[in-house]
Amino acid sequence: MSFDAEKEISRLWKSLHAAQDQIGKTYYRWRQAALELAGDDVDPLDVGLRTAEVFGRDIGKSLLPRLNWLKGEEGFLLNLGRALAGLWITDGGLAAAEKGEKAGEVLIRCTRDPWPTWAKQYGVSMNEVALCRERMLQTILVDVGVFFNIPLKIEMQKAIPKGQGMWLFRLYKDKA
Amino acid sequence: MAKTLYAWDYAGYPGAEAYPHLFKPIQIGELTVPNRIKYAATEENLNDRNGFVTDAGTEYVRWRARGVVGGLCFMQGVYMDEKRQGQGYVGQAAAWDDKFIPGLKRLADAIHGEKAVAGFQLMDCGRVGAVDVPYGHGPSAVPQRLRVFKPMHEMSKADVKAMIQQHIDAARRGVAAGFDIVEISGIVGYLISNFISSYTNRRTDEYGGDIRGRMQAVKEIIQGVKAVLPPDIPLGIRLCAEELLDDVRGNTPEASMETYKIAAEAGIDYISVTLGWQESIYPVISRDIPMGNWIHLAKRAKAHVDVPVQMAYRLFRPDLPNEKIGAGELDIWEMCRSMIADPLMPKKVLEGREDEIRHCVACNLCLARLFRDAPMTCYINPVCAHESQPEFVDPPPADDEKEVMIVGAGPAGLECAYVAARRGHAVHVYDRRDGIGGCLNEARNAPYGDDELWTCVTYQRRMCELAGVNFHLGTEVSADLIEDEMPDSVILATGPRFATLPGESRGNIVNILDVMSGRADIGEKVVIWGNRKPGIGCALYLAGQGKRVTLVGKDRTAGFDVNPSFKWRYMIYLRQNKVTAYNDCDIEAVTDKGVMVKTYDGYRIPVECDTIIVSERGPNDALKKAVQSEGIELFVIGDALVPRNLSSAVHDGYRIGMRI
Repeated sequence: MSFDAEKEISRLWKSLHAAQDQIGKTYYRWRQAALELAGDDVDPLDVGLRTAEVFGRDIGKSLLPRLNWLKGEEGFLLNLGRALAGLWITDGGLAAAEKGEKAGEVLIRCTRDPWPTWAKQYGVSMNEVALCRERMLQTILVDVGVFFNIPLKIEMQKAIPKGQGMWLFRLYKDKA
Repeated sequence: MAKTLYAWDYAGYPGAEAYPHLFKPIQIGELTVPNRIKYAATEENLNDRNGFVTDAGTEYVRWRARGVVGGLCFMQGVYMDEKRQGQGYVGQAAAWDDKFIPGLKRLADAIHGEKAVAGFQLMDCGRVGAVDVPYGHGPSAVPQRLRVFKPMHEMSKADVKAMIQQHIDAARRGVAAGFDIVEISGIVGYLISNFISSYTNRRTDEYGGDIRGRMQAVKEIIQGVKAVLPPDIPLGIRLCAEELLDDVRGNTPEASMETYKIAAEAGIDYISVTLGWQESIYPVISRDIPMGNWIHLAKRAKAHVDVPVQMAYRLFRPDLPNEKIGAGELDIWEMCRSMIADPLMPKKVLEGREDEIRHCVACNLCLARLFRDAPMTCYINPVCAHESQPEFVDPPPADDEKEVMIVGAGPAGLECAYVAARRGHAVHVYDRRDGIGGCLNEARNAPYGDDELWTCVTYQRRMCELAGVNFHLGTEVSADLIEDEMPDSVILATGPRFATLPGESRGNIVNILDVMSGRADIGEKVVIWGNRKPGIGCALYLAGQGKRVTLVGKDRTAGFDVNPSFKWRYMIYLRQNKVTAYNDCDIEAVTDKGVMVKTYDGYRIPVECDTIIVSERGPNDALKKAVQSEGIELFVIGDALVPRNLSSAVHDGYRIGMRI
């Protein structure tokens, strides 16, 4: 039986990209529906931020069965950072997490992100893209922090939609 | 002088001689129990949605009471709050009001009717509760790890006080209903364990903090309940010896032993040793855990407290607890699942009828059903949860006694055979093999405890002997044989027909039965076609021999036919054994180098292998036309009807045995 590996892989590749493209399109279509229902008095940024919280809560919950404390605080934070980086990768981005210079600190870098491109297609401001990503990651940490009884914080230090060339987030255990 | 409820004399019984430590009395508080056997409180979802006891629940308990031959028989744990936050199962019994007392009394009376000691358990399900309301309650609002459970609300101090009083009031109702012993459930993620665990109790008031603070609510419950119990009604508690929650920073084993000491100080009369939580990532009671694996925890408990210690957890055979009780490492043998599978299990032990025991196969289907709001059922016992239906418990004699031919001596055929024979039919079982058991002869060789499945066949063989079933082994049934014998009924229990692949005649394509019996030569790179349980068992069997195994199957996930309470174990074992799985796929063609796998949506993946194993199965309609053409009554059961699993075979067989 003839089998053309290049053809099979290229078909899979196209299907993957088409599926990833639908993630952004679907999100912004729903955003538009929410704005139309909400009316003119509502700030689109508020809708975006509320959506980011809904996403964040749900993603946070999905992480609970997959995280554990057996590798200690450092291993736990790195695993959590990798899970957050994985959110970009699923959508078609490039991201990774690594230990920061300080103890109990993990840096998450994303150097390629399809979301700003999708946002432009639907006329959404880059400021909203940046703030929504930050809010979503912060909300993810709420349940994770309570569940593992560890105060977690995440700070946005760089953002692609702000023209800074990469996303950079600092994940750390809060002293409080 | 401690109170004795019923006089039992076990002298002269074979079991009392073989297992003398199981059948000697023990004093618990001011109550003497005639033996060391306990049916532990087990949810069965057989009561109505409002917590009232039903006929089904009562008869279920009556049978277990009969089984303990004078020992302890507990009803399922009751929830105690009107808001129903403590209700963890849709059919859980309630005790939050006096209106429940008459129903509870029916259960106590049923247990007393069998001269057993009636146990009443208090069980607020806490974190795994709120089955019918939007929020659960607990010491702290720690998020749920599993989506199946409801979000949590933190209890106020007033809520905690109310909860303690609910335990006291419910205990009083249990006494009013006639129960002889009361127990607090503090295990596996229920409310009491939520208070005890550092994972779920983050309180800073007197009900939180260190282990003594986290035990404060438990201590107040023990003291409050003891105050309302008559002196001859003991109070016990079930507590985790190990939570197995290291990954979420639960209690250490040392802290757990501290809880035992605090409970004993508070006045508890016995402790039931448990381990694990429903949220724990470690397996505790599934078949892959060796029998007796946890019994050392009873010894550890006894080193910390002076009250009697009880334990279940993979203790399905009487020799294990008998030995440990004799050695002073355990006091009472608890059972849950082994008496779901056979309610009369200890009675049969006493009477020297161990070969008549239908053994639990530790599949956890019973648990899987309960968590999905379904009534209890048992993988291996078709009568379970049908105890209130006489036609199930003791199928009536047949109106017409028939000559019955059963083709196939696997679990389906054997089950059908003894049931039909008991009802008066003349039953003849044929099999082309020289022995009984069908495909289970091979399936039992799969790793991680599958040899325990064979207990089903040993039970069925004994039942067939007692019922007078006739065997014709080594006899292939043909249309001519059917025509010669002309039975009144034919039951086809021939097992499945294995599917065929293009290139079937090639030497490197073998049947799974030949592999599992060691008859086939297997290469180093293997593809198994079929991703249900037989394929998984074979994959793990070969991976254990160092083979590189790929599983290809049409189901969206491997193990579609394995219940969720066990399936997660197989998923982990497949990963650990580096088995590659292509699910939602089929084999498009056999190639020179292996197989071409085709995904459901048409993508193709070449997989190299030197051996292809067929485990994909379909219904088997061989002989069907031959039987129908003779106008003979026909039934098709087990995998011959639709390939499923051992449970379906047994249940099919029993039900058709009832109907013929």
